[in-house]
Amino acid sequence: MSLTTVLGVATALFGVGLYGLLQRRSLVAMLISIELMLASIAINIIGLTALTGLDASVGQVVVLVMVGVAAAETAIALSLFVAVHRAAHTIDVEQLRELKG
Amino acid sequence: MTATDLVFGASAAVALGGALLAVGLRNIFHNILGFALAMLGVAGIFLALGSDFLAAVFVLVYVGAVAIAMVYAVMLSHPLDQPPRARSVGKIAAAAAVAAAGAGGLWVVLRRAPWIAVTATAEESLAARAGWRFLTDYVLVFELISVLLLVAMMGAVMVARRSRSGTGSW
Repeated sequence: MSLTTVLGVATALFGVGLYGLLQRRSLVAMLISIELMLASIAINIIGLTALTGLDASVGQVVVLVMVGVAAAETAIALSLFVAVHRAAHTIDVEQLRELKG
Repeated sequence: MTATDLVFGASAAVALGGALLAVGLRNIFHNILGFALAMLGVAGIFLALGSDFLAAVFVLVYVGAVAIAMVYAVMLSHPLDQPPRARSVGKIAAAAAVAAAGAGGLWVVLRRAPWIAVTATAEESLAARAGWRFLTDYVLVFELISVLLLVAMMGAVMVARRSRSGTGSW
């Protein structure tokens, strides 16, 4: 397990998440993809602090803060989806075109 | 090949496989199960990197809380018993191209940077040092996160609440 393999796994995970964010039409699936991309960034931070001789505890702090922000983001996003569904009766981004000019 | 390498390889396979399930399957409930699997894999990667506390946090927060919260949103998505709407192949191809270009560009940048790999020598528990940092150098961040979570919780309740006057308005 070298630093290169850790970064490679994180990059692959980021690519999968980016593809899902662009390709899926459901807002929930897009949120899942964003969480996957956030997890890949967390792997990068932990790998780069644990394997490059930096203070690994700083990486722990950064990722713990990221987890807290991601949890708050998920709560807000899901409640927004509920509000959007109540107004438009769908969470399909191709059907949410009320603001399209 | 050491035991750590074995754990890392297996966890990476679980994480990437779960991510592919979370993105590739059509059924949104299967997507959420794949997401939980991917987060279990990410927790395993953290375990292989020596971050045992963070692995536990990921299992608790993502597999335990975020995935469960997402299950509630399944009822909002397109009904599973109805045939899916047609979609353009061009958009899927464009999404795949942009994702491949983004990950490829990221990989080129990461490979070009001169990282100096050192094997870590932890004399004290990593979780203990992280906790010490949270209550000394980063105590403001620690307090701000708790305020953020409180505000997010109240905001989520307010946004999702059915308004008393008028229905169906934004």
